[in-house]
This record gives sequence, C-alpha cells and structure tokens, in this order.
Amino acid sequence: MESKPQKNKSGGGGRTPIVAIDVEDHKPPEHHMIPVWFFVGVILLAYGLIITGTGIYEFSNPPATVLSNLHPTLWWGAILTIVGGVYVYSFMPRKS
Amino acid sequence: MNSLLSNTLAMLWFAAPGPAQTGSRLILLHPVDLAIVVIYFAVVLGIGLYLKKYTKSGEDFFLAGRDMTAWVAGLSFVSANLGALELMGWAAASYQYGILAAHWYWIGGIPAILFLGLVMMPFYYISKTHSVPGYLQLRFGEPTRVVGALSFIFMTVFMSGVNMYAMALVMKVVLGWNIHFSIWVSSLTVGAYVALGGLYSAIFNEVLQFFLIWFGALLIPILGMIEAGSWAGLVARIHQNFPQGDYTHMWRTMGHFADNPMGIHWTGIVFGLGFVMGFGYWTTDFLVVQRILAAKDLRAAKMAPIIGSYFKMAVPFIVILPGLLGLGLLPFKLVPESAVGVGQHSYNEVLPLMLARYCGPGLLGLGITALIAGFMSGMAGNVSAFATVWTYDIYRPFIRKTASDNHYVSMGRWCTILGVVISIATAYLVMQFGSIMDYVQALFSFFIAPLFGTVVLGMLWKRVTPAGGFWGLLAGSLSSIFMFLLVKFDPSKLAYIALSSHAKDMAENMYRALWSWVICVIVTVAVSAFTKPKPVAELTGLVYGCTELPSEGHLPLWKRPIFWAAISAGLLVILQWIFW
Repeated sequence: MESKPQKNKSGGGGRTPIVAIDVEDHKPPEHHMIPVWFFVGVILLAYGLIITGTGIYEFSNPPATVLSNLHPTLWWGAILTIVGGVYVYSFMPRKS
Repeated sequence: MNSLLSNTLAMLWFAAPGPAQTGSRLILLHPVDLAIVVIYFAVVLGIGLYLKKYTKSGEDFFLAGRDMTAWVAGLSFVSANLGALELMGWAAASYQYGILAAHWYWIGGIPAILFLGLVMMPFYYISKTHSVPGYLQLRFGEPTRVVGALSFIFMTVFMSGVNMYAMALVMKVVLGWNIHFSIWVSSLTVGAYVALGGLYSAIFNEVLQFFLIWFGALLIPILGMIEAGSWAGLVARIHQNFPQGDYTHMWRTMGHFADNPMGIHWTGIVFGLGFVMGFGYWTTDFLVVQRILAAKDLRAAKMAPIIGSYFKMAVPFIVILPGLLGLGLLPFKLVPESAVGVGQHSYNEVLPLMLARYCGPGLLGLGITALIAGFMSGMAGNVSAFATVWTYDIYRPFIRKTASDNHYVSMGRWCTILGVVISIATAYLVMQFGSIMDYVQALFSFFIAPLFGTVVLGMLWKRVTPAGGFWGLLAGSLSSIFMFLLVKFDPSKLAYIALSSHAKDMAENMYRALWSWVICVIVTVAVSAFTKPKPVAELTGLVYGCTELPSEGHLPLWKRPIFWAAISAGLLVILQWIFW
C-alpha cells in the first residue's frame, strides 16, 4: 500500500501529483474538534425536554388534533429526549 | 434532480391568490413552537462561531479539511439536497400524481448515487481536485473549466434566490410571516455560519438539519398510517375518494403518455430521468459532490454516497406518503393553485395541512423547524459551493494567480456573503418578475445533462481529447437551449422532441436532457477522433485505465463499498416490485 500523499496546504486549486492513494486513512485527527454528533444530541435533548413538558401539559389541555388521544407529543418528546441524551452522553467532550 | 421539480413546484405558488393574499394562515404557532425555532437559529449560529477557529487554511474552509467520516459526509450529501421545497413540493406532487412522484427519489436517484460512489468518486478523490470544474480543467483544460464554472455559478446563485423567495412565500402562506422578514433572517443566518466556518460549518449544520428534518416530518406518516390502519386500508380509502385514477402503482400506467397524469412514458422515466437527469445531477452537480470531496479517505468517499443512498431511498416515506395520506384521509379535496377559491386549499398545502392535522403545540414547532432547516441546508449548499467554484475556478486562475492561502480563505468568506447578497437580490427580482420562474428549470437542464456526458466520457475513456470535451459540452448545452426555444415558439415540435404531443413539461425536460446528452456524446467522440489526445502520463489519477486504484481486497466483505451498494440496489428493486 502506497503512503498517503501530503495534503495540499498551499490553498491552491491545483492538485498534488498523485499516482495512488490509501483506501483508508489511519492517521489520527490533528485537532480535537467536538464531534457533530454532540451538537445533534444537544438540540435533540433540548427539544425532547420541551416537547415532553408540553406533552405532560396536554394531558389536562389536549390539543384539537386527530389522534391526540394517543399523546403523540409526549411519546415523541420522550423519544427525542432519549436519543438526544444518548448522543450527548456518548459524544460529550471529555478531558483525556 | 429534485431541485428540478421543486423549482417547477415553486412556480405554482405564484400562479394565483392563496390564503396569504386573503389574509389567512394555515398554522398558528404557540410560544413553545417559537421557542423551538429560536433555539434552532441559536444553535446553528453557535456552531458557526465554534468552528471558526478550525477554519484556518483553504483546505479547511473549502473542503472541511478533507476530514469527514463517511457517515458525516453521507448525511450532509443527502441533507444538502433535501430542501424545504423538496418536502412540500413532492408532497404536493404525490397528492396530484400519486406514487409516481417516488420515481424522482428511487430510479431518479439511487442508481446515480451508487454509480457516483463506486465508479466516479475514486477519480474525483484521487485527483485531489477542489471542485467539478477543477476536474474539467485537469482532464480537458481551461476552456472547458470556464464553461463549467460559469454555468455552475450562474445556476447556483439564481437557484438559491428563487428557492429563497419561494420559501419565504411558503412561510407567508403557512404561517403568515412577513416575506421580507423570512428572506433576510434566514439568508443572513446561513451567510453568517457559512462565512464563519466554511464547509466545516455547512456540513455540521447539514447533519444537524438532517436529524431535524427526519424528526420533524416522520410523525406525519406514522400517525397517518395508524389512522389509515394499514397500507391496504390507505389504498382502499384513496380508491374510494378518487375512483377514477390509479395513485398507488409506479409502473403499471407507464405504457403510454396518456395513461398517467404526469404524461410520461416509461422510456422517459428510465432513460431521461433515471439515466441522464439523475446521473447528471448526482454525479456532476458540485453542490452535492463537494460534500463527498470532504471525506477523510478514499473508502469514506466511496461509502458516503452509498450511505446516503439508503436515506435517499427512505425519503419518500416522509414526503410521498404524506401526500398519499392526504388523498386518503383529508375530509376535503385539494385543488390546483390556479383554482383555489374561498375556503379551499391547494395541492401545495398538503404537508402543512397534514402537520396541523396531527401535531399540536411543540410538535408543530418541530415540523416548522424541519421546513426551515431544509431550506437553510439547501441554501448553505449553494453558497458554499458558489464560494469554492468562484475562488478556485475563476478568481485564482484568471484574476489573482499568486496569493497567500489566507487571501483565498478571505476571498471565500467574502464570496459567501456575496453569494447570499446576490441570492437575496435574485429573490427580489423574482418577486418583481414572476415569469422568471418559468425558465429556471429549463436553465438547470441546459447544462447538467451535457456535463454528465463530458465528465463520464472523460473519466472512463482515455481517448477523449480536450477539444472533444470542450466542443461536446458546448454542443450539448446549445442544442438543449435550441430545443427549448423550438418548442417555445412552435409547440407542435413537442411531438418530435418528446416523442408525443401528449407529453407534459416534465416529460419534455426529460427527453430534451436525453437528446442533449446524446448530442454531447456524439460531438465529443467525433471531435476526439480527429484531434490529439493527452499523453497517458497526464491522465494519471483522472481516467479509468490510467489510474492505479487501491485494492479493497484486504477489507472484510462488510467494509467494502460494493457490498453495501449491492444491498442498496437490491432494496431499490424490491421497492419497485412492491409498488409496481
């Protein structure tokens, strides 16, 4: 397997002369950017908590929507909360 | 591809007075809904601010450091294509035409996406080009790059503006929001986060938007199917409400132009949509290809579109199914936009109507956020691709050849702002001259189909010469424009261009794309036969047969792109069989 060519950091639009390239890059990332999945988790968790709260409120004030008896707001809010929570926990930036 | 129809559908909003003009609105948001929308804007801007410190070089700003995993690049790839008009426009199309609309997602998308991943992506990636016009320069030379870059820039900002106006109009109709407020707030937010974090920011937000679109839209088909009872129950209700039409079969009515409401023959769907337009859009439109170029390695670059293909295949369940549910479950019938009377609703309103049917406060805000997220992801795709093509394919080679990396990054940031400003100006232009919309879809199809012919020939056949590529692309585009004008001035010629006088606009577009691709290929081959090809040494990394592609033989089967592509193709076939 050939070594991976250097990235073109000159900022140009040209290309580095390439003959072949690794199919997989095993080099660890050079930065410690928070993964996008954490941001996904944060917004889903925030929305989940808001919508779950609204769903609880709707027990006493049901909306005039079809199938509101199934409490979709509550269930969907709970699903968002769980998915968001799992993503936040799994991808939370931690000090190494 | 879907941009093509969404622009046509966007035109419908201009056709006649709707609820907005009568002062009504479809949905009333509550404070909790507004809080959800505000949180969304805060998070996307926060992501842009956070990523600014990681955007130091040109490679960072324009290609996200070529650092993205296959999943991130793949979700971004699908999200950039999943605009709000896609959601609303295709739901409307499915109410009008039934499940035929799913052709644009399945045969019009999946084969092309898999071809991109397996065949074309290795050459885009190995050549280390920054853009599709950049590949044209490497393969064919500067003249072809200029044609490709200028047509892309023109199309991109124009489309962005048209979509922006259509989206603002949707917000006015659905929510009663001021049209100027919608245009400025949403576009300046996109401009800010893309200018700050470049493609990093665009991709991060597109992944976020992907989740919001799905979580915001998925509840409609779930609750709709619960209400209908089952697929058979839904079909029975549709037949009961609309006994004269077949809305639930994809291929049975394709035998003749007059047998289906779209006025399309199966050859137009298979060759025009599935082959030329689908492949043209998904393999050469830099808006989507740019997301894959940001992948961290070749395997990720091949896997990203394949991962995207699964989600693309699932999109009809949140877009087409709500339209069908509208056919079966709504207690009233929707009408064409041009026929809307007092108390009536148009096809275009089917998605908001279904949203309001099932979603109370909170869920309503999530659904509206999904629409806004869809619009912003599409616009971010447009402006980030515009900034890259302008900076690397026009500014650097022709205006300022030698400058520091920081200078080009700075140019990219300013271009992002400029792209947003031009888009806003275009939106206001369309507001003044609504007839511009009539030409948008045609404009898009002028360039995409021939470009696919040029790129695919250049990639797979080393004998194609620079002159062949240039003249083929030019001849294909000019012939497409000629055919458009011919039918415009003499409608009787439709029978020759689209093979039937029964053909509708969409069918005409497909056949015109097919002929322009054929002309591009013929001219490219003919000119190449009489001109001198490039030496093989100069084609290394650019052309099949001249490039050493890395072996995947050492990877286990489940890590190989071909394995997942085969499963995706198999699922596509099964879906066609189920809904035949």
